[in-house]
Amino acid sequence: MSIMKLSMGPQHPITGHFRFILDVDGDLVLKLEPDIGYTHRGIEKLAEKRTYLQNLPLIERVNSYCDSVGTMLGYLEAIEELMGLEVPERAKYLRVIAAELNRIASHLYAACLFSVATGLETMLMWPINDRELILDLLEKLTGQRITYTYPTIGGVRFDMSEGFKEEALKRLDYLEKRTEDYYKMLLWNHTFQIRAKNVGILKPSDAIRLGIVGPNLRASGVKADVRKDEPYEVYDRFDFSIPTGKNGDSYDRLEVRFKEVEQSINILRQAIKDIPKGPIKKWAPPIVPKGEVYTRVEAARGEFGYYIVADGTMKPYRLKMSPPSFRNLIALPYLCRNVPLADVPVIYISLDLIPMDVDR
Amino acid sequence: MLEKIGKSLMNIKLLRKIFNWGRAWSLWSVHLETGCCGPEDMARACARFDTERFGTLPFPTLRECDLIFVTGFVTKKMAKRLKLAYEQMPEPKYVIAIGHCSISGGLWWDSYSVVQGVDEILPVDVYVPGCPPRPEAWIQGIRMLQEKIAKEGLKK
Ligand code: SF4
Repeated sequence: MSIMKLSMGPQHPITGHFRFILDVDGDLVLKLEPDIGYTHRGIEKLAEKRTYLQNLPLIERVNSYCDSVGTMLGYLEAIEELMGLEVPERAKYLRVIAAELNRIASHLYAACLFSVATGLETMLMWPINDRELILDLLEKLTGQRITYTYPTIGGVRFDMSEGFKEEALKRLDYLEKRTEDYYKMLLWNHTFQIRAKNVGILKPSDAIRLGIVGPNLRASGVKADVRKDEPYEVYDRFDFSIPTGKNGDSYDRLEVRFKEVEQSINILRQAIKDIPKGPIKKWAPPIVPKGEVYTRVEAARGEFGYYIVADGTMKPYRLKMSPPSFRNLIALPYLCRNVPLADVPVIYISLDLIPMDVDR
Repeated sequence: MLEKIGKSLMNIKLLRKIFNWGRAWSLWSVHLETGCCGPEDMARACARFDTERFGTLPFPTLRECDLIFVTGFVTKKMAKRLKLAYEQMPEPKYVIAIGHCSISGGLWWDSYSVVQGVDEILPVDVYVPGCPPRPEAWIQGIRMLQEKIAKEGLKK
């Protein structure tokens, strides 16, 4: 039989900004080759032209798609480590609150994309609507819906407004109840299970060998989370667990995300309860002393690494990022071998890749 | 023969008005995200903001769409695909430029791989500023386009 080349995307409801080049034999996908670079803006190069402070909105847009706070924290950690700057306690808590809210929003977004891939339209609307509730909270905290530039060098930009705590607790309670509905509607749904179970199985040994990070790694059963392994900000003060999956299939990858939402709610409750009073920002000099530093944080999609070389001026000499989606992308061609064509969107969405993140 | 009849029918003012009305309220948009304004595209199309109230619905097939939202920056690699998508759409077709990036390059004004303003490659009908614009702003953009169509509409 003859092998045909099929091009999928970027004008496609599922692929986002990617293009996949598939080798198909009838309905069977023999090989998948991702064609990346549709959103390459050259952030790493642009960052060398701007000052550390001007870089903040730039860095944020690496993944402003859903997870801007998680993305920025690593960069700020790196700079603050170089400067030897100690961030005020309250600012650290506020950063954690914003980051966890962002993580919830991001995972809900992933869930709604998953429902599109499996053709469940109702579950596209539900998580998106609940995500709006979280975005409302974030808007109350930061003044924007998805691009906040909320944390800044030496702290955060705004303090909590009045009534934020009560509102947040109320909405978190609602969301916790809502996750049960998600289990009923999506995860325990027979149709969904047929589509997602035993599709794209990633064994733990393979996941480690390929360098997969974040929820995808945890879904394969490996307990690895930067928040626990190498706590940054104030994560060491909270009591939370790391959910892991069993089989490492697409179903587990979504289930882990839902469990993480529950854990994030858990963290948020603790953070809102024991947030201390005090200043939210410390003055930081514009010049960063000479040195090199590598930091990593746990963004919503996994481990986000930053490597900064500072040469004692106002601008970075070199800024290298290793975003989670780029590291997870390698799993896609690996999993999409000898699978039916209909499974490709499911596997792709289950990895929760953001093209913007891959290309920078 | 049919063309001639169609043309003469379009000379009737009332018929033209009905045509434009139908066109303005059934703007189906293409599924092509170019930049990071993308999630707001999802937000405006789904629950709460729901632009289907205004007849704007993201649709997978290019051949049945009449509207492109250029969601944010357009890289040089994406520009070719965007143009291809635009050329494949049937007439009449409209373009709404969303976000600072698609208007003027925005944050990426000095980037080597971003097109400085999408009007360099496509004729833009409505500009919606913001980074990213709120879903309410998208809705305003859609309404402005509808007004524009109702005013100008079919040339003849
Ligand atoms: S306007 Fe802002 S959110 Fe939209 S593509 Fe440009 S940088 Fe991204």
